[in-house]
Amino acid sequence: MQLDSKIPDGPLSEKWDKHRFKMKLVNPANKRKFKIIVVGTGLAGASASVSLAELGYEVMTFCIQDSPRRAHSIAAQGGINAAKNYQNDGDSIWRLFHDTIKGGDFRSREANVYRLAQISNNIIDQCVAQGVPFAREYGGQLANRSFGGAQVSRTFYARGQTGQQLLLGAYGSLSRQIAAGKVKLFTRREMLDLVVIDGKARGIIARNLVSGELEKHAADAVVLASGGYGNAFYLSTNSMGSNISAAFASYRKGASFANPCFIQIHPTCIPVHGTYQSKLTLMSESLRNDGRIWVPRNPEDKRSPDQIPETERDYYLEEKYPRFGNLVPRDVASRSAKVQCDMGKGVGDTRLAVYLDLKDAIKRDGRDVITRKYGNLFEMYEKITAQNPYETPMMIYPAVHYTMGGLWVDYNLMSTIPGLFVLGEANFSDHGANRLGASALMQGLADGYFIIPYTIGDYLAQASLDTSREDHNAFNESSLQVETRIKKLLSIGGKRTVNDFHRELGHILWENCGMTRKEKDLEKAKKLIADLRAEFWENVLVGGTGKEFNQSLEKAGRVADFLQFGELMVMDALARKESCGCHFNEDFQTDEHEALRDDENFCHVSAWEYRGEGSRPKFHKEPLEFENVELTQRSYK
Amino acid sequence: MTTARDKSCINLKLKVWRQKGPDVKGRFEAYKARDISTDMSFLEMLDVVNEKMILSGKDPIAFDHDCREGICGACGTVVNGRTHGPEKGTTLCQLHMRHFSNGDTVVIEPWRSRAFKVVKDLVVDRSAFDKIIQAGGYISVNTGGAPDGNAIPVPQEAAEKAMDAAACIGCGACVAACPNASAMLFVGAKISQYTLLPQGLPEAKKRALAMIGKMDELGFGNCANEAECEKQCPKEISIENIARMNREFLKAGLF
Amino acid sequence: MITCPNRFRRVRHYAVVKSYRRPNLKIMQCDMNWFIRILGSSIGKKLIMALTGLGFCIFLFAHLAGNLTICAGEDAFNSYAERLHALGPLVILTEIGLLFFAVAHVFIGAYLFYENFRARPERYLVKKNAGGRTIGSVTMPYTGLFILFFIVLHLIDFHFVEKTDQTIYQIVLATFSNPGYALFYIVSMIIVATHVSHGFWSAFQTLGVYNSKYMLPLRVMGTIFSLAVGLGFGFLPIYISFIS
Repeated sequence: MQLDSKIPDGPLSEKWDKHRFKMKLVNPANKRKFKIIVVGTGLAGASASVSLAELGYEVMTFCIQDSPRRAHSIAAQGGINAAKNYQNDGDSIWRLFHDTIKGGDFRSREANVYRLAQISNNIIDQCVAQGVPFAREYGGQLANRSFGGAQVSRTFYARGQTGQQLLLGAYGSLSRQIAAGKVKLFTRREMLDLVVIDGKARGIIARNLVSGELEKHAADAVVLASGGYGNAFYLSTNSMGSNISAAFASYRKGASFANPCFIQIHPTCIPVHGTYQSKLTLMSESLRNDGRIWVPRNPEDKRSPDQIPETERDYYLEEKYPRFGNLVPRDVASRSAKVQCDMGKGVGDTRLAVYLDLKDAIKRDGRDVITRKYGNLFEMYEKITAQNPYETPMMIYPAVHYTMGGLWVDYNLMSTIPGLFVLGEANFSDHGANRLGASALMQGLADGYFIIPYTIGDYLAQASLDTSREDHNAFNESSLQVETRIKKLLSIGGKRTVNDFHRELGHILWENCGMTRKEKDLEKAKKLIADLRAEFWENVLVGGTGKEFNQSLEKAGRVADFLQFGELMVMDALARKESCGCHFNEDFQTDEHEALRDDENFCHVSAWEYRGEGSRPKFHKEPLEFENVELTQRSYK
Repeated sequence: MTTARDKSCINLKLKVWRQKGPDVKGRFEAYKARDISTDMSFLEMLDVVNEKMILSGKDPIAFDHDCREGICGACGTVVNGRTHGPEKGTTLCQLHMRHFSNGDTVVIEPWRSRAFKVVKDLVVDRSAFDKIIQAGGYISVNTGGAPDGNAIPVPQEAAEKAMDAAACIGCGACVAACPNASAMLFVGAKISQYTLLPQGLPEAKKRALAMIGKMDELGFGNCANEAECEKQCPKEISIENIARMNREFLKAGLF
Repeated sequence: MITCPNRFRRVRHYAVVKSYRRPNLKIMQCDMNWFIRILGSSIGKKLIMALTGLGFCIFLFAHLAGNLTICAGEDAFNSYAERLHALGPLVILTEIGLLFFAVAHVFIGAYLFYENFRARPERYLVKKNAGGRTIGSVTMPYTGLFILFFIVLHLIDFHFVEKTDQTIYQIVLATFSNPGYALFYIVSMIIVATHVSHGFWSAFQTLGVYNSKYMLPLRVMGTIFSLAVGLGFGFLPIYISFIS
C-alpha cells in the first residue's frame, strides 16, 4: 500500500481553490441517487450530514446517544478560532496557519492546515447565520478573546459553552434536513463494522442499542465522524460514551491508523480524587489568561495556600517561560505540572495537583469582572470540590483531553479505503503533535461544512459504483462476525467487570504512555496490555443478553477495542524515537528539558496498517514536506 | 490515585424504579449502597451499585448518561421527588453525595410523562424533543453564502438573553418537574433564542406555529404557570421565555 | 412591487406548516378554522382562560366597589342597586357576557385539567416542589370547582331571589344574619382570593406580558388584588352582623 496524500500542486494559498476547480462534480439530478452514511453527530458529523443533504444526497446519520444533540462536541468550552482579524491586531490566514503548524510542532501537513485557516472565516459566518449566540460587544459586533497562548485575539465564544452552541446550531440545521426527509436519523445505534465490497466502503453494521438487533445499512460512501480515543485512558475529559470502536472496526477493515500516540493532555483539569472516579472535568483554559500557576518552593511545605508567603511560592511557568508565562501551549503546561509533582512539590491530598490562583486578578480587576468572566467555571469547581475558588486557589492537574491521531486521510479526507471518509477528531490531519486551544471546533466544522461536500462529490463522480444492497454477501459476513463477537463476550462469564478492565488499562496507559514516555516503560506497557487483553477475553463478566438494552455489553465491546488499540498506541510511541509536541520521550530532550525533535528521521506521519489478529501491523510513512515554514525549535521563553 | 480524601463514607438505602421495557409493568426495588464516598457524584454512586450487581449476576440499573459534566443533557432522574436531585441548578452527574447523609433513603424514578416513554429502568425516550426541534427549531440557512458575521449587529443585551435561553441542554427536567408534564420551557427557550436574535426574525411566525403545533401533538400537558420547571431546571432557564413564546405564538396566530 | 410578492411569500410560507396553518386570505373570509385552531392549541386555551379570568377580575373589582357602598348606609346601597338595574339592556348584556365567560372558563379549565392529568399516566412515588408552586397554583382546579358551586348558590341567594317586597339591603341583611352562612361566605371569599392569587399574574404570563421588568410588579399587584378581594368581600358579612 502506498500512502498518497493527494496534496495539490502550486502555491500554498492557491492549492485549495485550484483543487476545488479540478474536482469532478455530480450532476444535481443524480445526487439523490447516492446514499451516504454518516456515523456520529458531533460538529463534524452533524455539519457533514447537513451540507451533504442540502446538496441533495440521500443521507443516513447514526449516533449512539438518544439524540444527535448529545454528541461530545457539546462539552467544548473555550471557543473557536478564525482569522477574521476583527480586532485589527495583525491576525491573518497566514498567521493562523503558522501558529497552528508551529503549535503542532511541525507534524501536520502544510496544505491541510492552510486550508483550515482559510475556511475558518466561513465557519463563523455560517454559525452566526444559524443563530449561534456568540458573545457581542456593546456595538453589536462579534467579541473575541485571546485563547490558548495565541498572541492575537481570534477566538469567538459563547460564554463557556461554545461547543454546545455550535453543536446546537448544526443540530438545528440537521433537524431541518430530517424534517425535509433528506436525512434519515438513526439514534441509539452503534456502528460495529464497516462493510467493504470490491475494496470500497459500502456500508455498515450497526447495533440497535435498544433492541440489540444488528442492522445492515448499505450506501455509496461512508463518512466517519466518531470522535477521538481519549477514553482509552479510562479517566479523561471525554464523555463516558466516547469510544474508538467505529474507527477501529474500519482499521481492521483496512483503513490505516495515523499517529495513534499523539494524545493531548490538557493542563487545567480538576485533579483525580478517588478510584471510583469515572471521569475528569476540564476547567476552561481561559482561566490561564488571568490565573497564575504555582506550587510551594519547598516540597515539605504542607501549609494551606494562604499561609504560604509570596517569596516561598514557585510560579514555575512565569519563571521558566517569561515571554508566554502561564499561557504556554498545553503540552508544555501539562508537562511542567508533572515535573513539579514528580519533584514532590505537588499540592492537595494526593500531591498530584498545582495551584491555579486568581487572587491577583481579583485584586486587580475586582471580583465583579472576574465573576463575569469565570463565574460559571468557579461555580462548577465549587460544585465538584466543595471549595470556593474566590477564597482559596483552585487545584488543577493535567488530564487526557483530545487525540490528534486518528484514521489516516488524504487531502480529500478519504482514508486508505476508497469511499470511507473520516472527519473531525476521528481523523489525524490538522493538529500535528499538539492541538492549539479553540482549534478542534474549527476543524470539525471545516471538515463537515466546507470540505466533505466537495471531495465526496469528486469520489462519487468517478467511483463507478453499482447499486449497493444489504443482501450482498459481505453484509452477511460482517454481521455474522459481529454477532460471533457479541456472543463470545457474553459467554465468557468471568470474574471481573468491564469497568475493572478499563480502569486497569487506563492506569497502564497513563503511567507509561502519558505525559512523558520512556522506552523502558513503553516496552513494559506493551506487555502489560497484551496480558490484560488476554485476561479480558477469558475473565470478563458482561451479564445480560445481546437482544436487549444492555449497557454493560456496549461498554464491553468498546473496552475490547481500547485494549487492542492500546497496544497500537504504545507501538507507535515506541516507533517515534524523538520528542515532538505531546509526545515527550525522556530519552530525547534538550538540555533545558524541552522536546527534542528529530526532523531528519521523524518528520513524517506514521500510519499503521492492520494485518490480521496476532500479526504486527505494517508501518507506513508519509513524509511531511515544509515549503512555507521553517522548522524551528519551539520556544516559548 | 489514592483514597486520601475518601474519609467520609456513607451508606444509603435506594429505592429504584425497575422496568424491563416500555410495555412491561415496572416496580420499585430496594438496594443498599454501602461505603459511598461523599466525593462521588450521584452517577458514580450508581456505577458502584451496578458493578456489584453485575458481579452478583443481577441486571444492572440502566440509566442514561454521557458527558458527566452537566452539558450533554443525557442524564436525569427524579431523586426524592426532585428532578436531578435536591441541589439547585445542578444536573444529576454534578450532584455530589456530600449532599446526602448516612442512612438516607433515596427514591430514584425516571422522568414521567406520556410523551417520554420508559425505554428501560431510568432511561426514557426523549425523541419528542427532537421532533419539536425538527418542526422548526432552527434558522433556515443553507451552508455557504452566509454574509460576514459582523454584517448584522446584534445588541449585546439581546445576545446575552438569547444565550440565557440557548443554554438549555434538552434534558427534559422541565417536563418531569412540571405538575402537568408540559414542555413549554423547552420550547419557549428555543423560540426565545431565535426571537431575540435578528437572524431568527424572518421565520419567527412560522417557527412559533409549527413548534407549538408539534408540541401539542406529542401529548405534553399544558402550562399552568406553576414555575416548577424554572425552579428545577439544571440551567435555571427563566419562565420569561415561556411568556415570550406565548407572545410570539399569539402574534403569529392571531395577527 | 414590494407588497405584492411579500403577500405571496407569506402565503407560501405558511403552506409548509402543517399544524395551525393560516390559510390564504381569500379563503379566510369564509373560513374561520384557523382561528379555532389557534384557540384550540395549548396556548390558545390558556389565552381564553387568561382573558376570561381577567374579565372576572374586572367584574370582581366592580362588584366589590358596589358592595362596599353598603358602608355608606342602607340608602346608598339600595340606590346603587337601583341605578345599576336602571341600566337595563346593558346589565343583561353584561350578564350574558359573564355567563359566556363562565361557561368558557369552566369547560376549558376542566378540559385542561383532564389533558394535564392524561399527560402523566404514571405518577411519581415522591414528588417535592422546588418553590415554584404556591397554594394558589396547586389548588387551582379545586378552588375553581368550589367557586363554581359558590357562584350558583350565590346567584340563587341574591340574584334569582324574589325582590318585589324587599330591598336588596334587606335581603343581604337577612341572609348574613345566619352566622353559618356568613362563615361559609367568608371561607368562600378566602378560596376566591386563593384562586385569584395565582390567576391574576398567571393571566399576564399567558398573555406574554411577563418579563423581567414587570415580573415583580405583577406578582405584587396579584397579591394585593387577591388580598383586596378576600378582605373586601370577607369583611362585608362581619360588617353587616356588626351593624345589625
